[in-house]
Amino acid sequence: MTDEFENDREALAAEHALQLLRGDELRQASALAGSDPGFAREVARWRGRLAPLFGEVEAVDPPDAMWTRIEQATASAGNSSNVVMLRRSRARWRGFAAGMTALAAAFGLILLERPPQQPVAVQRPAAPPLVAMLGDTDKNMKVVASWDPASRRLVLAVAGDMPADPSHAHELWVIPEGGKPRSLGTMAAGKQMHMRLADALAQLLQQGATIAISVEPPGGSPTGAPTGPVVASGSLDKA
Amino acid sequence: MERQVQLRVEARGNDELGRLLAAVARGEQGALRDLYRRTSAKLYGICLRVLADEGEAQDVLQEIFTTAWAKAGLFDPAKASAMTWLSVLARNKAIDRLRVRRTPGAPLDEANELPSGDLSQFEVLEQAEDARRLRDCLDQLDERARAMIRSAFFDGASYPELASREKVPLPTMKSWIRRGLLRLRGCLER
Repeated sequence: MTDEFENDREALAAEHALQLLRGDELRQASALAGSDPGFAREVARWRGRLAPLFGEVEAVDPPDAMWTRIEQATASAGNSSNVVMLRRSRARWRGFAAGMTALAAAFGLILLERPPQQPVAVQRPAAPPLVAMLGDTDKNMKVVASWDPASRRLVLAVAGDMPADPSHAHELWVIPEGGKPRSLGTMAAGKQMHMRLADALAQLLQQGATIAISVEPPGGSPTGAPTGPVVASGSLDKA
Repeated sequence: MERQVQLRVEARGNDELGRLLAAVARGEQGALRDLYRRTSAKLYGICLRVLADEGEAQDVLQEIFTTAWAKAGLFDPAKASAMTWLSVLARNKAIDRLRVRRTPGAPLDEANELPSGDLSQFEVLEQAEDARRLRDCLDQLDERARAMIRSAFFDGASYPELASREKVPLPTMKSWIRRGLLRLRGCLER
């Protein structure tokens, strides 16, 4: 019985990695990948297992004009007016942060589970966990972002109504102080979301950095910079 | 001996691509350009293989690099090589495009089938011995399962498409492929 269940899940992970699924099955597998790190890992593992097949694909030079197209599509990213917009909303929400502390406490999220301490002689001073309170302009939605540098885990808890609009995605951004927005990816539907960040992004989540959510086309911003309105933002501070 | 040198050269090439991706994650346009120079032909080949249409393959190639520009920070060199990560991205984007094309004037419901954009779609986990094993293990599958799995990989064919192409009921197709995939896993894990 358990074996059968394991086999079903395993097969589903492989089918999802191959993109064989359509309809309800695809929706289920996508939801599972977004909510179950073990399943997501299995899907990732299958992508890796099958990747050697790319060796059979013949390289073909794209037309010369392609690079110009890509350069134009990406050149404006990062210095658009959206940055200004994000900064402004950061200032607006700073005062709101205090009232959100209670909310964070309600979620019991301020201190994340820390990985078991290893009895290692040489230690670097552990970076403290950080929290950002994000509120939308209408106060219909509140998001608490908790960042644990030690495990590189970011946890988001959504309170209230996250507008569920299938024609748009919510994309999460980090804006380092004095820097430009970098995408942390789009947000899956749900009340809680966990993600483990790669080093390059983890370095950007410092005290004072802003976490923001913008509305983007499905799949996220096509340019690398926020293209839609910012619906919530807040700055990272010590928990 | 020669093979070892070859492997080392490949590993170094991948390291360089990984460094380029890290620089892209920091927003360096020059790095994106270098990355494009070194990887676009392979990625364009992957798009063409799935889409069999130059115009669409070019649109998707642009999308791959704008996505790389935006999401390079999600690449983790400890989990996969940069080339593999980009190739998976290319295949996934090309298949997304294929699904939209095959449901012209699709109702909203169909459009919703597109991956929700959850972060796990950018995760790829590979191990050093994957390439050597995969060929051996695929060879051990019965021909039908192997052909279907390869078609899903290279052409982006979905279950319903494979079933109608082979003129078999959908459950039959699923059971062929599922059994093949589980056998493949069993062999790869040995």
